[in-house]
Amino acid sequence: MAVLANPRLVSELEHYGAQDVVKCYHCGNCTAACPFSREPFIFPRKSMRFLQMGLEDKLRGNLEPWLCYYCGECSEQCPREAEPGETMMAMRRWLTGQYDFTGISKLFYRSWKVELFAILLVALLTGIGFFLYGSSRGDIGIYDGPGAFLPSSMVHWFDWGMAAVLAGLLLVNCVRMWWFTTGRDRTLHIPLSSYVQKAWLLPVHFFTQKRYRECNRKRPWLIHLVLMLSYVTMLVLIMFFLHAMQSGPAIRWTAHVFGYAATIGLLGTVAFALRGRVRSVETHYRHSHETDWMFLIMLAYVALTGIVQHVLHRAGNAPAANVVYLAHLMGVVPMLVLEVPFSKWAHMAYRPLAMYFAEVQTEAITAREKDRAAIRAAGSQPA
Amino acid sequence: MISESRIGVYFCRRSSSPAGQADLAELSRYAAAFPHVTDVKDFGELPHLDPEALTREFTKLRLTTVVIAGDSPGFFKPAFARALAEADGDPERVRLASFREHGALYGNITERAKAVLCCAIYGVPYGLATVPDTTPVHPDTLVVGGGIAGMQAALEIADGGMKVYLVEREPTIGGHMAMFDKTFPTLDCAACILTPKMVSVGQHEMIELMTWSEVEKVSGTPGAYRVQVRRKARYVDADACVACHACMEVCPIRVDSEFDSGITTRKAIYIPFPQAVPNSYILDAANCTYVQSERQKCGACLKRCAKDCIHFDDVDQVIELEVGNIILATGYDVFDATRIERYGYGHLPNVLTALEFERLTNASGPTGGNIVMKTKKLNKRTKQEEWVFDPEGPRPESIAIIHCVGSRDANYNPYCSRVCCMYSLKFAHLVKEKLPNAKCYEYYIDMRAFGKGYEDFFERIKDEGVFVVRGRSAKVTEKDGGLLLRGEDILSDKVMEFPVDMVLLAVGLEPAPGTGELASVLGIPRDEDGWFQELDYNTDPTGTERGGVYVAGVCQGPKDIPDTVAQASAVAARVLRSIVSHRGQDSRSSLPLAQIESRARRLAGV
Repeated sequence: MAVLANPRLVSELEHYGAQDVVKCYHCGNCTAACPFSREPFIFPRKSMRFLQMGLEDKLRGNLEPWLCYYCGECSEQCPREAEPGETMMAMRRWLTGQYDFTGISKLFYRSWKVELFAILLVALLTGIGFFLYGSSRGDIGIYDGPGAFLPSSMVHWFDWGMAAVLAGLLLVNCVRMWWFTTGRDRTLHIPLSSYVQKAWLLPVHFFTQKRYRECNRKRPWLIHLVLMLSYVTMLVLIMFFLHAMQSGPAIRWTAHVFGYAATIGLLGTVAFALRGRVRSVETHYRHSHETDWMFLIMLAYVALTGIVQHVLHRAGNAPAANVVYLAHLMGVVPMLVLEVPFSKWAHMAYRPLAMYFAEVQTEAITAREKDRAAIRAAGSQPA
Repeated sequence: MISESRIGVYFCRRSSSPAGQADLAELSRYAAAFPHVTDVKDFGELPHLDPEALTREFTKLRLTTVVIAGDSPGFFKPAFARALAEADGDPERVRLASFREHGALYGNITERAKAVLCCAIYGVPYGLATVPDTTPVHPDTLVVGGGIAGMQAALEIADGGMKVYLVEREPTIGGHMAMFDKTFPTLDCAACILTPKMVSVGQHEMIELMTWSEVEKVSGTPGAYRVQVRRKARYVDADACVACHACMEVCPIRVDSEFDSGITTRKAIYIPFPQAVPNSYILDAANCTYVQSERQKCGACLKRCAKDCIHFDDVDQVIELEVGNIILATGYDVFDATRIERYGYGHLPNVLTALEFERLTNASGPTGGNIVMKTKKLNKRTKQEEWVFDPEGPRPESIAIIHCVGSRDANYNPYCSRVCCMYSLKFAHLVKEKLPNAKCYEYYIDMRAFGKGYEDFFERIKDEGVFVVRGRSAKVTEKDGGLLLRGEDILSDKVMEFPVDMVLLAVGLEPAPGTGELASVLGIPRDEDGWFQELDYNTDPTGTERGGVYVAGVCQGPKDIPDTVAQASAVAARVLRSIVSHRGQDSRSSLPLAQIESRARRLAGV
C-alpha cells in the first residue's frame, strides 16, 4: 500500500500549537512515563514519529491523542524538551479539524482572527434576531409571563432547534471520526455485537471521566469533572426546565438550587483554569493556544451575564434584565454554534467515542493477533 | 583569489548558544567594511533556510564565497552549500566563522568574534593566523591530577628527563581507573595496566609526588608560573609507613569507603586500596575519635604503631613551586543518580550506579568479584538492619542496565558522556561471564560504539545473549521484593514491564568538584558544560587560552581511556617541545585584533 508523506506536516501542526516536535530523538521515555500507554495504544512517542515522518493519513486515523489527558508527565521527563504532551494537545486540535467536514474548524484553529470574527458575527446576528423578535411581539419592560420581551416558550423552541442542528453537525463529524480511525481499517474485523456490547462505555466515560483519574495528579480530573457536570446540569435545566428557570421574581428553589450549584461550579473552575493559564506554571497550562483562551473567556462571559440577568430579574428591574438576557444569548449562541461542532468543545463527543472505539479495536486486534499466531504456528508445522 | 571574490557573510544563531552573545550589529558593520564582502545578513535564531530563495539571492549578487558566522555554524552549512552550487558557485567555498569553537565565549567576545570572522573572510584557518608569540620557559612542570591522564603525562615528561611535580587531591594516585574492573573493549584488567604505572610514578626520580595536596594559587606569566600547593595534614609519615595494617586492625571507627564507592566501609585510619601509591596509611581526622575528642579518647592506633609514624601534630603545609608549564588532568565525577528520583537510586537497595558495580564485580572488591544482591543484615554495633553486600549473598537472576542516566538530557546534562554505552556493554559481558544463566538487558537510546573495535565488541555482546533493547526506561519501582522496570521497546513496538533483580544506572560524567575554582585560579575559561575550554577544538585540543597551561583527559571533555592516554601523551610532547626549545607559547589573548588581521592578510596573499 502506498504511503504518502507530507513533508510540511510539522509546520502545519505548528499552527495548531505543536512546538519542538523535531527535537524528539525517540528515546521512548515519554511512552514509558505515560500512565495510559498500554498495548495496543502506545503513545506519545509513536505519534511524534508519525508526525516527524509526515504520515498524515496514519495520524488522521490515530485515536491516541484522545486517549491522552495531558497530565504533563511526558513533557516534564522529556530529555529533549520536545513537549510531547503539548504535541498531543495540538494533534487533538488538528484531528478536530480533520473530522470536521465543513472545513470551518481548520480555519478557526489556524487563525484566531477568523474565529473571533465568526464569534462576533454570530453574536451580532443573534442579537439582531432576538431584538427584532422581541420588539415585534413583546414589551422590553416585561421579563416573564404574557407580553414578555423574550418569552421562555420561544427561547425554548429556539434551543431545541439549535440543539438539533448542532447534534447533526457533530454526528456527521463523529461518523467521519469512526471512519478514519476504525471503519476504513480492512484488517480489523469488528462484529456489530462488539459495538453493542461496549456501548455502555460511552455514558460511563462521558459522565465520570474516570480515565482522567488515572493520571498521577488528581486535581485536574476533579476540576474537569466539576466543570463538565456543572455544564451538563445547566444544559438540562435550560433544555427541559427553561420555563421554571425564567419564572420569577420569586426564587423557585426546586429549580434554581441546581442552577446556583452549576453556576458556582462553572465560575470556580473557569476561574481556576484561567488563573492556571495566566500563571503558566503547571505543565498542562504552560502553553495556551488562542482557542483555549477564547473558550474560557466565553464560558466566563456567559456565566457572568447569566448571573447578572438573574439578579436583575429578582430585583424587579425587568428592562435591564431583558437587556442583559439579550447580551447573555449573544454569548451563548456563538459559543454553542461555533465551539461545539468546530472547536475545543467537540472533544466532549470525541473523547468518550475514542475510548469506546479503542476498547472495540483492542478486542478486534487481540483476535487478529491470535489468528495470525495460529497461522504462523500452522506454517511452522511439517507438511 | 580574494581580489576577485564576492563574499556574502551570513549570521545564523543556534538557540543553545551561551549566555554571552557577540554584538551582531557591530560584527555586521565590521564584516561590511571588507572590500570583497558584497552582502551581510543576520538570519536570526535557528532560521528555516530555504535553499531556493538563497539560490536566487546568490545568483543575483553573483556570490563566489559564503561565510556562515555564529556558534557552531556548520549546522547550517548544507543549505548554503546547496544554494551556492545551484547558483553556479563552488560549494567548497562555503566557509565557517565558528565563534564559540574558537573561544569567543568569555571575556571580550565581540573582539574575538571579529578576529574569527576576519580569518574566515580571508579564507585563512584561524589557528594558523593566531599562533601565539613565544616566551622563555622554566624547565619544571606541574601536573594537577594523578589519574591515568596525569600519570601518563608526568611519566612521559619525566622519562624525557625533566622535573615534574604531580599534585593529587586524594591520598593516592590512580584516579577512577584504579576502581575499574576491566577496560573496554579489550577486557584487560584495569589494575594490571595501571598499578605498574602508579609504581613507576611513585619511584621516578624526576617526579615529585604530592598526594593529599591541592593547588591554591597560581601567579606569574606563561613560562614562569609560581604555584602555591597546600599539602594537607596526613597524620601519618608516608615515608616511614610500611602499610603493616596494625593501626587499621585496632581502629574502631567505620565509615563508607570512597574507593569502594560506599558499598563497603573502611576504618578512620586507612589505606584506600592495597596498591595505593604512596603505599602509606592516612588518618581521616574528621572521623577519628582521638582527634575529635582532643586526644582524650581512643588513640589505639598510636599505641599500636611499631614504627611511630602516626603524628597527631601534623599540620597543613603550603609549598611554593616554580614551574614553566601546568598540565590540568583533574578528571571527572560521576552524575549523582539521586537527582533522578524515578530510578529509585538511594532508596531501592539493588539499584546501583556504574562505579558501585565496578567495585562489586572487581576481584579485589568487597565481594571478591561475586555479583550479588544486597541483603539485610543486622549491624551488631548500631542494632539496626542494613542493606549490605554479602559475598555469599543471593545471585541476581536478571540485571537491567539503563543508559544515559543524566546524559543527553536537557533536564540534567545535555551532552553525551561518551563512555557509558561502552562500559554498559562491558558490564553486560561481565554479568554474562560470571552469571551465565542470568538475563541481562540493556536499555539504550542510541548505541554509541564509536571507537576502534567498539562495534565488534557490541556485536560480541549481542552474540553472548544480552538483550539489547532500544528505548530508555522511565521508571524503576519495587514489586514483590524485586524491581520492576517500565520502558518502551521501540523496535518491537511494545511497552514493557520487566521484573529484574538488579538495576545498574549508566551514570554520565560531570566535571570534578573544584574544576570551577581551579579555572578561576588559573584564569582559563570553561565551556558551557563546565569542562575546561580547549584553545581550539580541532587544531589545539590540549592548549588553553593561557599560554603554558594545558588540559589532558576528561577534564577537557568526556573521553575514554585510550583517548585520555593519547591526549596526555600529546600534552607531554608539547611541554617537552617548549622545554627543549626554551620557548613556550604565550597566551592567545595577548594577540591584538590588528595583528591577527595583518597576519590573515599576509597568509591570504593580499
